[in-house]
Amino acid sequence: MNTVEGILHGFSVALRPDVLVYCVLGVVMGTFIGVLPGIGAMAAISLLLPLTYYISPEAALVMLGGVYYGAQYGGAVASILLRLPGTPQSAITTLDGYPMARQGRAGVALFASMVSSFCGSMIGIVVLVVLAGWLSRMATRFGAADYAAMMVLGLVAASTIGSRRPAKALAMVVLGLILGSVGTDVNSGVQRLTFGQTQMMDGINLVALAMGLFGVAEIIGNIRNAEREGSPPHVSLRQLLPTRDDLRRMPGAVARGSALGSFFGALPGTGSTISSFLSYALERRIARRPERFGQGAIEGVAGPEAANNSAAISAFVPTLTLGIPGDPIMALMLGALVIHGVQPGPLMLEARPDMFWGLVVSFGIGNLILLVLNLPLIGIWVSMLRIPFRWLYPAIVVFVCLGVYSVRGSSFDIAAVAVIGAIGYLLAMARFNPALLLLGFVLGPLIETNLRRAMLIGRGDPMVFLQRPISAVFVVATVALIAASLWGAWRRFRSRTAA
Amino acid sequence: MTAIGAFVALYSVAQYDIGSLRRMGPGFFPVVLGALLAGLGLMIALPAWHRAGEMRPFDVPQALAVLAAIGLFGLGLQGLGLALTTAGAVLIASLPAPRRGWRWRLILAAIITVLTWLVFKQGLQMTMPVWPDFPG
Repeated sequence: MNTVEGILHGFSVALRPDVLVYCVLGVVMGTFIGVLPGIGAMAAISLLLPLTYYISPEAALVMLGGVYYGAQYGGAVASILLRLPGTPQSAITTLDGYPMARQGRAGVALFASMVSSFCGSMIGIVVLVVLAGWLSRMATRFGAADYAAMMVLGLVAASTIGSRRPAKALAMVVLGLILGSVGTDVNSGVQRLTFGQTQMMDGINLVALAMGLFGVAEIIGNIRNAEREGSPPHVSLRQLLPTRDDLRRMPGAVARGSALGSFFGALPGTGSTISSFLSYALERRIARRPERFGQGAIEGVAGPEAANNSAAISAFVPTLTLGIPGDPIMALMLGALVIHGVQPGPLMLEARPDMFWGLVVSFGIGNLILLVLNLPLIGIWVSMLRIPFRWLYPAIVVFVCLGVYSVRGSSFDIAAVAVIGAIGYLLAMARFNPALLLLGFVLGPLIETNLRRAMLIGRGDPMVFLQRPISAVFVVATVALIAASLWGAWRRFRSRTAA
Repeated sequence: MTAIGAFVALYSVAQYDIGSLRRMGPGFFPVVLGALLAGLGLMIALPAWHRAGEMRPFDVPQALAVLAAIGLFGLGLQGLGLALTTAGAVLIASLPAPRRGWRWRLILAAIITVLTWLVFKQGLQMTMPVWPDFPG
């Protein structure tokens, strides 16, 4: 199936009434959750994941994808109006978005963020189509050893790049890997780490883990801050119109942001948050008058917003073609695919073209809906910021419980959420990154399976990882990353003891 | 911070034992990971030993209330039914909210209970008791 046929086929899936309804539902829910400060796409997707058991796999994935990029749109609203990032990806937007709002240009900032988000997503989709085809042809040559090596590289990259304390990040990944190995061992049927609990034979429930780590911990952390926010300004449609000067400044920033975003989104370990920060740094570096940044420069809104949206789309490249999630949100998506009986990987394009192309086309449709819907609805989103958190969070707590319960009708899983939530809150307080734990949890069983297969093929000789050229490259890159972060830690240690 | 590092290290030593009792097969992966985690735990714990902790302030009442609400839900759903557990969980969860007074909490509990009943029982047709089982 070539690209044109694929896209046409995708339209036939994405325009199915049920898929279309869930696409709209997903983007609206995503924007809603993104607008609310403190609840990110991660919590949103884990909240909605159980609900997707009741719908077809195509509709489910389309909806979850919609939640993800919808949250990126919504996150900017709170960033601009209240200087409270709705999602981590839009944290950088506060730097120039909020000053613009203070100058009475909130509408323009919102317009810029939405149009840039839309352009970024469209460019991300093109990158996804081009790269996915190419990568999945490449990936059919991958053996078990190559997969194992690549996933290890992905995990190491995710925890060392952009992390201030790589050891803490790696510890989270390893803890996730261990949690992932709980349950019945696939090869031998032996019970591992279940401590005799029959409820744990199937392993730890992904939804319970994700909700406990993200939903619960985020709710607890936000109760105290909830009442402090000021009331956002009114924004009318007329205020959305940018000046000619704004229009002149935006395209360059959007193009650069999208390029950065789609590149870093497709790499394992770097995601939309990092892309948005890089884009902001780039815009400031190349600006003729860098002192405008922080004072309400429209490029500082347009660039990062384009970057985080294109990264959100291109992050699907490794997830769908290799079956390897680049960031924790993609890990959750991968989990959702597997739950729905779709095994992502190089064969997915051939085996489930409806899924792949349907998803790609739905990204386009969903983003268009967001643009058309959000410009007129902006007043509603703004007024939603006035709902006090004390009304919302008890409802969220109940939805978390029922969501987990609905997965397999088990009250044990609800209790598990309470335990995991407590642990997750402690970890977050000690500045561990629970997102990496989830990444390790999802990748753990995949790594173990491929590792064992590779050892079987290589007759127990670990040199098999260096003899295959593809895996050798990954192994060398992994070692280099670890060496680099050890070197960094050593230098920090030296400078501290010297001082 | 240090406590968690030490806890992680000790915990993985326990993992190590469990793993090594088994053969190379199923135990191998957990053993390697346990050892790795122990090492990393030490790497985190040792430099942190003579520094002040990196802990953020805890929100203890908030954490306890939310966790208790979830716990109640897990224990009570089968026996007490959806309506009572939902209302109870909302009331417990809303305890640490900054606004005082009981009226808004009761109204909120009622609204959320009706909403969950509509969405999960009527909308999604989930199988669970709504009211407690009275004998007879």
